[in-house]
Amino acid sequence: MRSLTKLFLWSALTVSVKAQITLGPTLNTFDILAGSTVTNSGPTVINGNLGVSPGTAITGFSGFAPGGPGIVNGTIHSADGVAGQAQSELTAAYNAAAGAASTGVRAGDIGGTTLTPGVYTIASTLGITGTVTLDAQGNPNAQFIFQIGTALTTATSSIVFLINGAQASNVFWQVGSSATLGTSSAFAGNILAQASVSLGTGALIQGRALARTGAVTLLSNIGTAPGVIGGLPPPPGTPAPSSLILITTALACAGIYQSRERLLKIFRG
Amino acid sequence: MKALTALVLLVCYLPALQGMVQQWQSDEDMSHGFVVPFVILWIVWRERGRWQTLEAQPSAWGFALLAAAAGLQAAAALGVGLFAGSVAFLISIAGAILSVGGFAWLRALAFPLALTIFMLPKLAIVYNQATLPLQLFASRLAAAILTSGGIGVVREGNILDVRGHRVEVAEACSGIRYLMSLGFFAMVFGYFSDSKAWMRLALLAAAVPLAIVANAVRVAAAAWQPSLDSGTPHAISGWFIFVLCLPALLVLRQFFRDVYARYHS
Repeated sequence: MRSLTKLFLWSALTVSVKAQITLGPTLNTFDILAGSTVTNSGPTVINGNLGVSPGTAITGFSGFAPGGPGIVNGTIHSADGVAGQAQSELTAAYNAAAGAASTGVRAGDIGGTTLTPGVYTIASTLGITGTVTLDAQGNPNAQFIFQIGTALTTATSSIVFLINGAQASNVFWQVGSSATLGTSSAFAGNILAQASVSLGTGALIQGRALARTGAVTLLSNIGTAPGVIGGLPPPPGTPAPSSLILITTALACAGIYQSRERLLKIFRG
Repeated sequence: MKALTALVLLVCYLPALQGMVQQWQSDEDMSHGFVVPFVILWIVWRERGRWQTLEAQPSAWGFALLAAAAGLQAAAALGVGLFAGSVAFLISIAGAILSVGGFAWLRALAFPLALTIFMLPKLAIVYNQATLPLQLFASRLAAAILTSGGIGVVREGNILDVRGHRVEVAEACSGIRYLMSLGFFAMVFGYFSDSKAWMRLALLAAAVPLAIVANAVRVAAAAWQPSLDSGTPHAISGWFIFVLCLPALLVLRQFFRDVYARYHS
């Protein structure tokens, strides 16, 4: 009986320590979700769904009035039932992330550090300058949950680097206020922001930008939903010139090099 | 006699030759095959003073090689494949030289014969094993180059993502073309610039890392600058980076000479 009790307590403890956050099935299809507005400038590409609820305004995307340079390869949802359901699931995910039992405390800027899976609590703001490495230690199901009291801010060209099986879909940034990603930064994970999310020019997000009450602002960004990277149009290959061209060039250069003195005489008359 | 032997060989191995030419035409990794025979013939012609003065001492081993090559060619015709037929052709050339001129001729023509390896079609089992690791290595190296230059890059296998600009290090980007071209050139350059056999081998060995690094630089450039990832600018940048490898070979040759001189002075 005592063994059974121990086993039960151990199981309960394990479950509570290994908090697993999952996004609801509707929210899972969204790359971008805002509470008030989604605003875009520049040639942004969104590969999953984009939505807003309870707000209605979406600007800067082709296929949705007033149009714009942005492209949504998924579906645009403005204050419809799907966006509403996604917002409900966002609330559930946000609360689950906020309520997960903490396994570590961090403060200030985590750039330059390597973190293993766990639930990290940051009392106020969190910054990322340079590279922060998330090491899943070979476990592709390992989750990284960041409970950020107020704002998340990443510096220009900062990087969230995933190694040893870490998956962007298993990284959650629960932000108490707003998240701001710096220009040209490369970010990974799901941002669950209470207020707003702003992406700097050219910032890449391998994950989702989800805002509960405020806006999502985009500036020439590409959002790649975790797990649907294969849905992206194939990037261009970078083939080398044909070996015939390379060898012909090399032999011609060698010929010129070998006859350089004769050629110099000719040029000098 | 020599011309007749050459004609007979060409007729016997016509299917293999056709297959080789077809691959040179259709595969840009192998298109250098068109140049290789001309370079070989030119070297043979250039060396005529050396091998023509040698006394012909036909060897029966030449017929043994011809018989072995014929067996291999028969196997190729029965379905073993183009690679076997092409190797049979090259073995039969060595056999013909041996049976007409003997070992002295074979030694004198060993270098141009070695160059014929670059005419061989791809051996699929080796090529397929080598390509993916080369692709991944080129991707890793290109990402490292970009990172060390302060440029943020996300690598997903063989895909590089720099600020949302994605490029794929495909099979044709693996570096095989640089490797084949620079390897062949290093051998020929070694032949012209130094009489020592070890220098040709040293340059060939040095060409391997040089080609791999140059290819990674090419990929990094294409990932970094979207304007360099396709079309004419991409072709020109790939060509230009290859051209930069040529003076690097010159420097390496000088380095090898200096090292040699230091240990033999």
